[in-house]
Amino acid sequence: MNYPLWIVPYLGGTWVIGIIAIIHVFISHFAVGGGIFLALSEELAYRRKDERIYDFLKQHSRFFVLITTVAGAVTGVGIWFAVSLVTPDGIASLIQSFTLAWAEEYLFFAAELATAFAYYYTWDRISPEKHLLLARFYMWFSIFTLVIINGILTFMLTPGKWLTTHNWLDGVFNPTYWPSLAIRLLIMLAIAGMYALVTSSRIKEPKFRASMVRYCATWLLPVFLVGPLATIWFLSQIPQSAISSIYTGIQTSGLGNFSILARALYLSLILSGTILLFAFFGPYLNPKAFTFRIATLFMICGLAATGTTEWMREMLRKPYVIYNYIYSNGIHKSDVKELVDAGFLNKGKWASALAQSASSDTERGEIVFRYQCMACHTIKGYRSMKKLLGLLDEEAITRLLQMLKDEDPTQTANAYAGIMPPLAANDAELKCLAKYLATVNVKAREKASNTSVRPEELANKSLSLK
Amino acid sequence: MVSQSKRTNSIIGQVSAFLESRLSLSELKYLGEKKKVPQHKHSVWYYLGGIVGMFLFVQVATGILLMVYYVPDIHSAHASILNINSHINFGWFVRSLHSWGANLMIFALFVHLFSTYLMKAYRAPREITWWTGLLLIGLCMAFGFTGYLLPWDDVSFFATKIGLDIAGKGPILGPVVAYMLRGGDYISQATISRFFAIHVALLPVLVMGLVGVHVFLVQVHGISEPKTFKELPEAEKTYDKFFPDFFLKDILVWILALNVLFGLTTFFPWGLGPEADPFAAAPVGIRPEWYFLAPFQLLKLIPSTVGPIEGELFGLIIIALVALGFVLVPLFDTGISKTRSRLATGFGVFILVALVVFSIWGALS
Repeated sequence: MNYPLWIVPYLGGTWVIGIIAIIHVFISHFAVGGGIFLALSEELAYRRKDERIYDFLKQHSRFFVLITTVAGAVTGVGIWFAVSLVTPDGIASLIQSFTLAWAEEYLFFAAELATAFAYYYTWDRISPEKHLLLARFYMWFSIFTLVIINGILTFMLTPGKWLTTHNWLDGVFNPTYWPSLAIRLLIMLAIAGMYALVTSSRIKEPKFRASMVRYCATWLLPVFLVGPLATIWFLSQIPQSAISSIYTGIQTSGLGNFSILARALYLSLILSGTILLFAFFGPYLNPKAFTFRIATLFMICGLAATGTTEWMREMLRKPYVIYNYIYSNGIHKSDVKELVDAGFLNKGKWASALAQSASSDTERGEIVFRYQCMACHTIKGYRSMKKLLGLLDEEAITRLLQMLKDEDPTQTANAYAGIMPPLAANDAELKCLAKYLATVNVKAREKASNTSVRPEELANKSLSLK
Repeated sequence: MVSQSKRTNSIIGQVSAFLESRLSLSELKYLGEKKKVPQHKHSVWYYLGGIVGMFLFVQVATGILLMVYYVPDIHSAHASILNINSHINFGWFVRSLHSWGANLMIFALFVHLFSTYLMKAYRAPREITWWTGLLLIGLCMAFGFTGYLLPWDDVSFFATKIGLDIAGKGPILGPVVAYMLRGGDYISQATISRFFAIHVALLPVLVMGLVGVHVFLVQVHGISEPKTFKELPEAEKTYDKFFPDFFLKDILVWILALNVLFGLTTFFPWGLGPEADPFAAAPVGIRPEWYFLAPFQLLKLIPSTVGPIEGELFGLIIIALVALGFVLVPLFDTGISKTRSRLATGFGVFILVALVVFSIWGALS
C-alpha cells in the first residue's frame, strides 16, 4: 500500500516469485550439498590416493561450478527483483529487520563464489593438500549462506519471540530454525548424491562406475534415517493452526474437498518414498545396471520432491508473509482495525495517492482489489476471480465481502478466516470493491440470464464458493 | 563386539539351515538364477507381466481392507462406501487405490496380451501359457464387472443392468447365465450378494490358481525369445539373470508403476455417484467401464436385425469369433508358414487398432 505494484495477468505475481524461487532452491541446495560432497569425496580420494576419484571429481565439478555460480546468482537476484515488485510491503518489513543478516549472507556468498572459481581453476596446479583445503573452504562458506538464510525463511513461518522483542537475533533463531536447518542439510546431501549419481553413471570403467554409483547412493541415507525425526521436530514447532489445516486437508480428501496443501503433502510423501526405494533397489543393490537415463530420471524425481515439499511449507504460512504479523497482501495484522475504521484508501501512501485520482467507485474498488487481493488472485488465470465469483451479483458479492471482514478463525461465519487475510476496508470501500468485482463476472451473468439457467443451478454455483 | 556379531551370524546360520532343510530355498534361488531374460530392443515388454502381478497384489491387499467396512446389502452398500470415503481414516485412499489399481491392472494386462501376441510368444511350447493368460484376462474383466456394481451408485447400477441385458441376448446359455447372475429377472439384493461372492471368493481362487499355472509354465519354458533374437549367433546373445539382476530392475519398474497409481489416487480420488434407484430413469450417457467400451460401441452400431438374426446376437457372435481367433492362434500360426505368421500379425494389429478406435469412439459418443 506504500509502494506501486506490479500486475502480472493470468499467472499472478506470486507465481513469478514462485517459479524463480523454486529454481533458486534447487540450485542453492545443489550448491551447498555439492560443496559438502566435493570436500568429503576429495578427502576420500586424498586418503586412498585414488586418481580415479580425482578424475571423477574434476569432471563432476565442471558443470557444478558453472551452474551454481551463474544460475545461482541470476536466480538469487531475480528473487529480489520479483519480490520487491510483487510484495513490496512484505519485503520492506523483512529488510528492516534483517539488514545485517542479509549483508552477512552476501559476504559468505561472495566468498563462496571466489572459492568456487579458485577450486575449479586450481585442479592440478596446486598441491592436493591445498586443493583439499580450498574444497573445505568452499564447503563451509556455502554452509554458512544456508545458516543465515535459513533463519530468515523460518522466521516467516515462526517469528517466535521476535514478535514481542523485535530483536533480529530472536527472529533468526526462531522455533523452527534448528529443525529446518537439519532438514535442509539432509535434503542437500541427498540432492548432491543424486547429482553425483548422474555424473558417476557416465564413468566408463564398469567396476569403478559400480563402486562410485554405490558410494553416491549412500548420500541419500541420512535424509531417510534422520529426515523423519527432523520433520517431526519441525512439525512440533509450527503454529497449531497450520497443523490443523494439514489434518483438515487429509480428513476431507475423500469428500472431494481436496485442499492443495493435502495434495502437496501426498505428492511429497509419494516422491520421497519413491526416492528411498529407488535408491535402495537401484543404485545401491544393483549399481551395474544404473544407467545415465535412470539417473537423470531419478534426479528429476528428487527435485520434484524438494519442490513439492518447499511448496507445502510455503502454503503452511497462509495467509501470512510473516506469521501473525503481516498478511500475504502486505497489510500488518495490527493495522487491520485502523484500516477498517479509517478506510484503506486514506492510509497507504501509494494506494491513497492512486485513490485520489480515481474518477469512479469502480476504479476505487479496483485499487482496493489490486492491493488486497492480487497478492493471491488474478482476474482470469491463477485463482481466477471470474471462476470464483461464478454468477454472484453485486449484492451477493457485497455479502461475501462483508463475511471476509471477520478476522477470527474460530468464528464459523467466515469460512475463509485463517486461509485468507481479512478484508481491511471501510463500508464505502467494500461497496466500491463489490462494484468492481461485479464488472469482472458481468459477462458470465449476462450469458447465464440469456440462456436462462435454472434457479437451482445458480444456487449450486454460488454454494460452491463456500 | 566381535563375539556378538559371531553369535548373530550363527543364529542367522541356524535359521537359514533350518529353513533350507525344510523348504529347499537354494533350489528356488538356483531356479531364479537359471532363468534368463533375453536382452534386445523389445526387452521392455518383459516387464509387463510383473507389473500386472504387482497390481494384482495391490488389489488383494486393498480388497481385503475394503471388505472390513463394505456391507453387501442393497440398503447399506452405498452408505458403507460413503462411510469408507468420508469417515474411515484413509478409507478414501484405499478405495481409490482399489478402483484405480483395477483399471491400471486391466490396462497393463491388455498391453501384456498384445505385446506377447505380436512377439509370437504363443507358439509351441507355450500354447498353454497363452491360454491361461487369455483365461486370466477374462477373469480380470469379470472382476471389473462384478466389482463395478458393488458401490451401488446410479451409474454402476445401470451399467450392470445394460451389461446383463446384453449377456442375456447370448445364444443358448445367455439368458440362463444372465438370470443366474441377477438372481432373478431384475437386479436386486440377490444380484449384489452373488456379485459380492463371485468378486471376493470365486474369482480370487480361480485367478490365484491360474496365475500359479501361468508363472509355473513361464518357469518351465523360460522366457520367449523373438525370432530375430533367436537367430543371432550364440556369442551375440546377451541375457540378464532373472534373479537378482532382472528382478531388481523389475522392482524399479514396479515403483514407477506404483507412482502412477498413487498419483492418480491422490490427485483424482475415486468418486461416488448418488445411490442407485432401480425405479428411476437411467441417467443420460450411461456407459460401461472403458475396457468394455469397444464391444459396447460395436453393439450400438449394429442395426436391430442383421438378416435373419437379432442385431445384439450378431454382435455377440462377432465378439465371440474375435475371442476364438485369439484362442486358436497358437494352432494356426505355429511358426512354420510365413503366410500364416503374417496373417496372425495382421489379425492382431487389426483387432488392436479396432479396440483403440472403438474405445475412443465409445468414450466420445
